[in-house]
Parts: sequence; C-alpha cells; structure tokens
Amino acid sequence: MRDVVVTGIGLVTCLGRSKEAVGQRLRRMEHGFVRYQPFIEDERIPISVAAPVPEFDTTSTDPEDWTFPPEIRFRLEQLRGLSPNALYAHFALSRALADAGLEAEQVSDPRTGLYTASSGSAVMTHFHLDRMKKYGPLRCSPLGIVASTAGTLNFNLAAAYHVRGSTCGYVSACASSGHALGFAWDEIALNRQDRMLVVGAEDFTLETIVPFSSMRVLSLSEDPDSASRPFDRNRDGFVGTGGSVALILEAAEVAEKRGARVYAHFKGWGQATDGYHVAASHPDGEGLARAMHLAMDTAGWQPGEVDYVNAHATATPAGDISECRALRKVFGASGSPGISSTKALTGHALSLSSIMEASFCLLAMDQDFTPGSAHITELDPETEGLRILTESIPQAPTRVLSNSSGFGGVNVVLAMEKA
Amino acid sequence: MATTHLKEEELRESLKRCPEKAIEAAIAFNETRDPDLVPVIVMGIIERFVEPDVRPLLRENDDKARLLEDLGVDSLLMVEIVILVEETLSIHIENEELRTLRTVGDIKAYLDAKIKGLPIPSNKNILKFEEVAAVMPHQPPFLFLQEARINGTTAEGSYHISGNEAFLEGHFKDNPVFPASLMLEALGQLAVLLMLKTSGDAFGGPVKPDSIYFVSCDGVRCHKMCKPQDVLQMKVSLKKVHAPLAQFEGTILCHGSKVAKAEEISLTFELEREPEDSLRS
Repeated sequence: MRDVVVTGIGLVTCLGRSKEAVGQRLRRMEHGFVRYQPFIEDERIPISVAAPVPEFDTTSTDPEDWTFPPEIRFRLEQLRGLSPNALYAHFALSRALADAGLEAEQVSDPRTGLYTASSGSAVMTHFHLDRMKKYGPLRCSPLGIVASTAGTLNFNLAAAYHVRGSTCGYVSACASSGHALGFAWDEIALNRQDRMLVVGAEDFTLETIVPFSSMRVLSLSEDPDSASRPFDRNRDGFVGTGGSVALILEAAEVAEKRGARVYAHFKGWGQATDGYHVAASHPDGEGLARAMHLAMDTAGWQPGEVDYVNAHATATPAGDISECRALRKVFGASGSPGISSTKALTGHALSLSSIMEASFCLLAMDQDFTPGSAHITELDPETEGLRILTESIPQAPTRVLSNSSGFGGVNVVLAMEKA
Repeated sequence: MATTHLKEEELRESLKRCPEKAIEAAIAFNETRDPDLVPVIVMGIIERFVEPDVRPLLRENDDKARLLEDLGVDSLLMVEIVILVEETLSIHIENEELRTLRTVGDIKAYLDAKIKGLPIPSNKNILKFEEVAAVMPHQPPFLFLQEARINGTTAEGSYHISGNEAFLEGHFKDNPVFPASLMLEALGQLAVLLMLKTSGDAFGGPVKPDSIYFVSCDGVRCHKMCKPQDVLQMKVSLKKVHAPLAQFEGTILCHGSKVAKAEEISLTFELEREPEDSLRS
C-alpha cells in the first residue's frame, strides 16, 4: 500500500473561501449563519436560520442570472450545464489545483482521477421537469439533465479539466464526500492512480434544505448565534448550508518528487453500516463505532493515539446521542480525545459535510489549532466521559478522525495525520 | 389586445438577452407575420447564444459564416437556438431539417421558406464520408476528406485530425504535426472529388476515376501547423482545363485562420469516353 498525502485545498464555504479566513473563523468560533429571508417570507416554512455561501447568488433557475466571483469566466454552453453546486465546485477545484501547484497537463493525465459527491440539484431538477411537463421535452434545454442529476459534478468537472483517469460520483447521503475521499485513497494506495481530485458540493437552495423540515430534523431557532448547538442539552436540530470543498490527494512519492507542499498524511478510512433504519442512526452508534475502529486499523493507530475527533454531530437530539455512545465505546478505555462538531459554526452541508470537515481538520493541523464546539451552554449528559472541546485549543492535533454518518445507517470515518 | 400584450411580455422574457432590435422585430412579427422580419430575429437569437468574441463576425451579416467552425455553435447550442426560434416564431422545426443547416445563410433560407410555406431548400450536394469514400480512388488510411460540398467548379471539404493517424507517431517524435505534404495531398484529393462529382461539364464529360494523377504544384505556402483535433477546412476551385490537364487553386483554413495555400495544383485525367471529334482526329 502506498502512502497518501493531501497537497491542495480549495474552499467555497459559508465561512469564506480563503484558507486563512476559514481557519481563523474556526479558531475564533465565528459562525456563518444569518436569518435567511426566503425562509422567513414563506409562513409555511418553520425555520429561519441558514448559512449561505458568501459571494454567490444562485437564487434564479437561469444560470445566466447568477452572480459569482469574477475569477472564472464560463462559456455559455458551460454555464447552462451547471447546477449551483457544480458552480461552487468549479471555484473550489480551481483553488485546490492552484494551491497544489498543478498544471493543466498534470490534471489531464491518465494517472489523475476525479471523485465527486453531491446529491444532484433539486432546484434544477424541479425547474427542468416542470418546464418539460408544461411545454414538452423538445422545448427543454438539452443541458437540463447535465445540470440536474447527481452526476453533475463529475460530468462538468471531468469535461472542463479534461480528466482522463478514474471518474466517479458517490451518493451516500451525508457520508457521500467521505466515500469519495475514501475510495480516492484506495485508488492511490492500490497504485491505480497517482493523484485524485476529490470534490464535494451541495446546492445552497431552499429546495435542498427545507424538505428536511418534514422530517422535523431542522432547528426552529430564530437566533443565528445559537441555532446550531451540537452536544448542547437544548439542541433542536440542524441548520442547512451548501458550498464546495476540493482536496488534492497524491501518492507521497509523487508529491515528494515534484516538491509539493504536504498538508497532512491521509492514513486511511473505515466504513460500516448500522443495518438498522432508513433515516435514524443506530441508538448505540454501533456502525459508527465499527467504522472508527476500521479507520484506525488501516492507519495503524491505537485509540489512545488519536488526539482529535471531528464529530458528525449535526445537533439533532437522537443523532448526537448515538455518536456520543459510539465515541464512548471506542475511546472509553483509553481516555477521550478532544472532540468537537464544527457544524456548530457551519451547519450541516449534507453531501459536502464530510470533505468540508476533513478540510477543517487539515486547516487545524496546518494552522496550529484545534477547533472548539461552539454554542454549548449546557452539555448533554450523554457526553459524560467525553472531552468535548467547548473552546478552541491553540495547538494542532496530530492524529485526527473525522466522522460522517448518513441515511441508511451509513458511517464513514477518515484518518489523517499531521505532516 | 390583452392577449397581444401578454404575448409581448412573454416574448420580452424569452428574448431578454437578445439585442433590442430582435425583440422589437419579434413583437412586430407576432402581429404581422412579415417574413422580412425573420432574419433580424434569428440573427439576434444566434447572437445571444454565441460567445462575445464571435459576435462581430455575426454582425457582418456574412451568410457564409459557418455555425460550428466560425461561430462555435455545437449541436447542443443549436438545440437551444432552435427552441427559442420555435417559441418566438411559433413554428415547428424537424430534427431532420436541422441536419443540413451548416451556415448562417442556410438558416435564413430555411426559415424564409418555412415562414412562406415554400419548399425547404435542401443541401443535398453535401457529401458525407460514406459517399466520399464510395467514389474516391483513395481509401483509408490514405483518404484525407471526411465531408465535402460540391458547388459547380468549387469544392469545400473538411478533415478532422483524430490524432490516431499512424504517421503522426513519427511526424514528429512526441510532437504530432499534420505533415504539410499531406495538406497538399488532401487538397489534391478534394480536387479529385470535384472532378468526379461535379454536375457541370467543365471537364468535357465524366472523368474516369482511375485515370487521375498528380502532375505538378506551384506556389505552395504553409502558414500554420495543424495538430490532432484540428479540422482542416479545405477549398479548391477549378482554374482552367486544358485536357489532359486540369488546374486548381486550393486553400486550407483552421479555426478561421489561413493554414496553407497552393496557387496551382495540376492533375492529369482521362474521360470515361473520349469525345467523338477527338477520336476522329
């Protein structure tokens, strides 16, 4: 098995787009939430708070109406094949490639692949199908499918960057981008590819977030300063966000040969499924605990060697309890590592969340801090025995696990080590 | 009146990124169905979909501007244009009819006929690869023509350099460049096709396919290199016939700029049947 390292980070998040700015906001525990007008205007929508993606306005279903930073200019036929998430992803990937110092020919190389994760675009799907039913299929944009379905990220990015290695999109709800990272690690570790571009993205739209209201899993809080509070006794659900994060993974030897800057070693990953329920996680965190063990086994770590866990904890009452039990099961004997949920600052980015949180762990290791878990006024008694970091620590973690769980009881855990 | 007003609003919304004069023309067309308004509307719709850098070309109103090569209108963009044209002019365009539209002029002629209810002009003098290969003495891997259009004594043809051509492995090592000698060959082949497929009587009768050979070439100049994925856009015109010789002039363009020119390509040929009087003499 070959060693895998991370050599590039590209961010389009509610906390900003520069590594420095995002790192600083994580360290200072400054959230990205606002009272979001489209939710407030519709009295049937019971939620008020969301974490929009600054500098991007994709409210219109016509991509030619969108506003976004001027760094990238799209040709019309390119723009008309984009969903909001594919738009963010273009910016994230372009930043990550520049950050990694990669040239076009290194990207368009048979040994460079692209794995992505997004849930497609609910808003574009709805718009194009609605038009089809109204005017018939022959009056619909031929790029409607490309912009709508769950493959939109890999279609668009593979074409734009002339990717010639492995390309695939992963769909496993809120663990999707964790799977993309995990399988990208496999590709390099098994010597099938030398380099993987991994991109997660999610629309920030009413259509992506509001449907979760029907499941009663969204926070009803009207206060952006406290709506998202994982591990707090009075948490009442998650807050939605979107955006995109791209990471560049490379075989350590390849990165070394070209003198690339290394953010961290990606040591491995683990996945396990609860076998329990379509939406709810196992009450005792059974699958998540196994996934953490599998990730540590691959990395060659003992539980006592892990010093930080970026928890999945979204702030739903049941989900956080299940994760606390999984963490106790894994770290009960060895003593708890520092634990926080950065979703207190960003909210839940669904398909994007796993890679977004992996990037936060990388920023923490790179910028010498460990992010705290914000907005906790009273810890949930279920956290007993766990070292929940209610404040950030001015020290970088050395060995990190990043947890993600999703519908169907899926659990993915990533293991990263400071370079 | 109310419905007209509603339609006007809809038109303004659908055409919102088109030039104002196209929108005005569309609103007027909606009331008068005056065919003379159609070119302005259609050019405005095309302009809205093409990249800003080719818009000046479109404004020159050059009917010969090619949709794909000059304006970058690929098949998907063409569909977008068609949808908006259909919606604006309240007409229905068949996929089959679209296939032969190659230039701005083709589109104008097609829509003009459509609106006036006249027969649709066809582009049946376009030869697809299979038709080219069926008449040419040259065959793959030494046929450098994929599609051609014969128009009297001129012929236009194209060749897409796929990159899989065997000779590119050695021309040059790790640097595939389409050989200049083969550009000349390709022009010669287009001249051969012209001799075999022309409908006129410029050569004095049908030319015998296996009788055509290269004689000489003058005034050859190459201006640019062509590489894999480039498309050679060739044109040859007959200069004069002096049996058994025929002389042609040929040019090659790529992405709209001049790649090569041959002032005079001479080919020798025989007719299928020699003219009666020459037999007697």
